[in-house]
Amino acid sequence: MTTDREGLENLPALLDLAAFEKTSSGLFRPLGALPGWLKLDDPAQEIDLADRYPLLELFFSECAEVFEAGTPPRMDSDVWEEKDANGSTIYLQASAMKLGRRSLIAIELLPRERYTYQQLYHDFQLAEEEAARLKLVAERATRAKSDFLANMSHEIRTPLNSIIGMADVLSSSPLTPEQQKYVEVFQRNGVGLLNLINDILDLSKVESGKVELESTPFDLSEVILRAQEVVDGRARAKGLELRQHIAPGVPMYLIGDPNRLRQVMINLLGNSIKFTDKGHLEVRVVQDPEDERPGSLRFGVSDTGIGIPEDKLAAVFESFTQADSSTTRKYGGTGLGLTISRQLVELMGGRIWVESEVGKGSTFFFTAKLGVQADQSARTIREGAQVSTGSIDRLADGLRILVADDAEDNRFLILSYLNQAKCSIEIAVNGQEAAEKFRTGGFDVVLMDVEMPVLDGYGAVREIRRYEKEKGIPATPVVALTAHAFADMADKSREAGFTAHLTKPIRKATLLQALGGYSGKSGAAGEAVPARPVETPPPAPSQAQGSTDEFLVRVEQGMEDVVPGYLEKRRKDVETYRQALGSSDFDTLRMLGHKMKGTGTGYGLPVLTEIGDAIERAALKKDTAGATAAVDRLAGYVEKVKLQYAQ
Amino acid sequence: MLIKKKICMLGYYGVGKTSLVSQFVNNMFSDKYQTTVGVKIDKKVVQVEGQEVTLMLWDVAGEEDNTPVKISHVKDASGYLLVLDGRRRKTLEAALSIQQRVETEVGKVPFLLLANKNDERADWEVNDADLAELANRKWTVMETSAKTGERVEEAFLTLTADMLKCREKDAEDDD
Repeated sequence: MTTDREGLENLPALLDLAAFEKTSSGLFRPLGALPGWLKLDDPAQEIDLADRYPLLELFFSECAEVFEAGTPPRMDSDVWEEKDANGSTIYLQASAMKLGRRSLIAIELLPRERYTYQQLYHDFQLAEEEAARLKLVAERATRAKSDFLANMSHEIRTPLNSIIGMADVLSSSPLTPEQQKYVEVFQRNGVGLLNLINDILDLSKVESGKVELESTPFDLSEVILRAQEVVDGRARAKGLELRQHIAPGVPMYLIGDPNRLRQVMINLLGNSIKFTDKGHLEVRVVQDPEDERPGSLRFGVSDTGIGIPEDKLAAVFESFTQADSSTTRKYGGTGLGLTISRQLVELMGGRIWVESEVGKGSTFFFTAKLGVQADQSARTIREGAQVSTGSIDRLADGLRILVADDAEDNRFLILSYLNQAKCSIEIAVNGQEAAEKFRTGGFDVVLMDVEMPVLDGYGAVREIRRYEKEKGIPATPVVALTAHAFADMADKSREAGFTAHLTKPIRKATLLQALGGYSGKSGAAGEAVPARPVETPPPAPSQAQGSTDEFLVRVEQGMEDVVPGYLEKRRKDVETYRQALGSSDFDTLRMLGHKMKGTGTGYGLPVLTEIGDAIERAALKKDTAGATAAVDRLAGYVEKVKLQYAQ
Repeated sequence: MLIKKKICMLGYYGVGKTSLVSQFVNNMFSDKYQTTVGVKIDKKVVQVEGQEVTLMLWDVAGEEDNTPVKISHVKDASGYLLVLDGRRRKTLEAALSIQQRVETEVGKVPFLLLANKNDERADWEVNDADLAELANRKWTVMETSAKTGERVEEAFLTLTADMLKCREKDAEDDD
């Protein structure tokens, strides 16, 4: 019997455990040496294990039940955490054993490493959940921002519509040159503000994943041409030549999103013009050298401008970043165009980058993966013809138009746009009235505001469609007018039954071209007007097309009566300038220069704006030599300039 | 008379059970997550309704998807705190499931639901409607923060008071 007992006494020394035997008092007597992690005041004394380790209280009562039943001979407790004598966390587990009548308890120190995995696993899982949560938070914030911007844009666009529209109307009424100058300031800044809003909206749409690219057939050369048309005025004002080159073998008839492709090109071209003072801009299209598949193309827009320092090349595609913050002050722009372009190019499965040399120019490259039309001899339908400004009023001739808008300003604007057209107009001030008037019949087209009291535009157009179906009459074109710029609004209007969708602010030319589609005068009938028409600068006379001769100026129709008088006054000014120079009267020089700077371009004489600017700046610096040189240039220019009139 | 009461901390892992106990017992909080292995038992003596109560706080390792929490710990407990992390919706589902298992395996035991991490309320996935729906079940729901200590002591004391009331009722029933 003694040997049996001795064997048990030695056990704790062999394993890292504390062993106890239950005594008749219900307490526990240590067996053999106790491990270091278990400190007892008096190792010889019996202890109340359940009091020391509360977890064992429940364990013992469970053991009692099990051992009562006779099986099994051994039972393990749950693992529990304790602090050792040094305050470190240790993990313990108890085993109860029944040896005949003897009840033994072993408390084992579990190796810490056994639980390291649990910590690692939880750390990993929690980090992963945190990452997912942060992503969600970021997405939610982007969505909120995008919704906010959409609402804001609606609020801004509505009054802006009235401002730009009325400025257009005012601009075509008889004005003194001084007044004309003020109106131009309205127009220029209004359009600038509108472009900024559009850029911010576009960026927010792309960032929040709301932009889906179309997949329609288009003609590559046409897209390039139309992109160049948009920037043509600005390029010519600076005397820059626009070139395009499509490499042999590049398929001309493609499938993709022509509007977005053109938008990227307009952004890149506009950017290049801003930073180029002389030379040319070129759009080159080649097969992507890194992707042989047909339709994988590489576009390059190169200029002969100021170039970008190497350390700024990567930053130009970031939001609100230009190579130099002083750039914004000097050249203007929001710094969003390239960011939007990058996002759009990525949507087209491509990438965008820039190569540049300071002083020599930059080339912006981008690639895109486009579809190729099966029949390369096919011609795609032109999306609506460009119409010269002179004939624009004729586009709505003969139309019977129903205009439904609750805002008086907007109705007045539309009426002003149409006052030169030979059309008849009926007015409704809400959707209900519009639907009722429509039933009286005889309208060729309906212009309908979307948000109106009593019955909104959607309700009214549904009412109209229902009526037409009931009477078996063909659908009348109903054009939605809305300040909402998002593409899904266009979808919503189409679903409701609108034929097309115009986004406010609506320019006169845009409205008349849209109406032209329904009078059969522009060949665009039945086609939906793009949700966001490309804004063109207000029409202004310009240098003769295709001519690089700065002394040959083509006078726009309608300006024949005013341009010669304006030029004559500038000729007379030369003497005033000279007198002011003689008496060092810089105030007069500055004032005259400033006036000419503000009016020259408006009369189709951008050179005068340039000279006026030079005079003004020289006068500010009291730079007699600079001012004299500029006045000499003016004298030479007004003598040599020739006006050319349209047929 | 010496009153000793056992309270179990139950819930999904990482919801803050250990931190709630640590805040309640030692007024301490650590941002570093420390997993609980098995059970960790703490003790705190409190005064509730003029009585001194020794609380034995059984901080039970959190539930995992493949490792359900051991309900038998609640067998001799007077009450439990069911804890969820307001930022993680799945911890609400785990809490509901644990409560149901306790009721099935042990019976009705006083408990409180603690929606923890109230200091990060802006990031919560569990919303007011969820909490209202729990309150509709006549559950006592408290939004706590082990980090700031918000409503932590109140939670333990409220549960203790509930447990004492329950005990009185049991005693009456026994009579």
